[in-house]
Amino acid sequence: MSECERAQRLSAYHDGEVSEAERVSLEAHLEGCPACAAERNRLRRLSDLLSAAPRPEMSADALARLHRAADDMAMADLGRMAKTLMAVAASILLVCAVWLWQSRAATEPTEPIPAWETAATTSQGTLATASDEQLARWIVQDLERKNGHD
Amino acid sequence: MPSESGQPQPADAALLRRARHGDASAFHDLVDRHAARLFAMAASFVGNVTDAEDIVQETFAGAFRGLRAFEGRSSVRTWLTSILVRQTAMHRRRTTRREARLVRLETTAEPVAAVPSPTQAADTRIDVMDAIQLLSPQHRDVIILRELEGLSYDEMAEALGIPRGTVESRLFRARRQLQERLKGYLD
Repeated sequence: MSECERAQRLSAYHDGEVSEAERVSLEAHLEGCPACAAERNRLRRLSDLLSAAPRPEMSADALARLHRAADDMAMADLGRMAKTLMAVAASILLVCAVWLWQSRAATEPTEPIPAWETAATTSQGTLATASDEQLARWIVQDLERKNGHD
Repeated sequence: MPSESGQPQPADAALLRRARHGDASAFHDLVDRHAARLFAMAASFVGNVTDAEDIVQETFAGAFRGLRAFEGRSSVRTWLTSILVRQTAMHRRRTTRREARLVRLETTAEPVAAVPSPTQAADTRIDVMDAIQLLSPQHRDVIILRELEGLSYDEMAEALGIPRGTVESRLFRARRQLQERLKGYLD
């Protein structure tokens, strides 16, 4: 292992991020290598120095702003949910309205078949016996019914 | 850890589940628990209090939007750290380096209430902070996450989106640079 590779493994050893087998091997090496022992000591002192560095603290105002922002996000989320629910409700209403319209159209009584039409589509015998006068009367009745005349 | 009333506080995962189901107070509790830590990280990442506040706000906004997508494969702490790291990267891409506008943590108009250290002189603390800020963003990130936040290599790999081996090598090189800059304090 090169010096650089060993130094890098020492860095990981310092962090407790090596396997048990490697830890045992490195500790055995450290006992007999002053240079690596000195490197381990420097790593410890560096960590102590860094951990003593001041940590910036968040002001109370900044924390309050964070909480207000969280409230705003919750309100915006509720607003989005409300819009989605309204859209779903509108879609359901539309589907129901279409279904109702179609159902009503299917059950409405059909326009009565005019007598002259019935006569025209029945057997030849019936047609043959209806006089022209009778046919005309049927047509007139049908027209009167449609126009709403007495 | 019990609360002031002696009742055990809910775990982060329980708070997140409640927040996911619309419990606003649970999300506020998560903010209270993690805001200070995330702010300290962000301020160390960017060296600027105002930007750090923006990054933390964007972090919690991202967390709120991602509540339903959180799968629980990592801790809530690591998850929030990952979001913060991504927001910091986005911030860095947006921000150009204008030295005149960069405000050192110790001289900002909005003074940072640094934790007093009885064992280190003020100039030592400034030297350490300067040395961290002089690192490249990649090296600064791993040093902060490891030395200041105590994340494991696996947690750092997940938060940074890089292989574990890359974490290890970056940390090694970052430490070498810091050892060089701070050798007066280490010898």
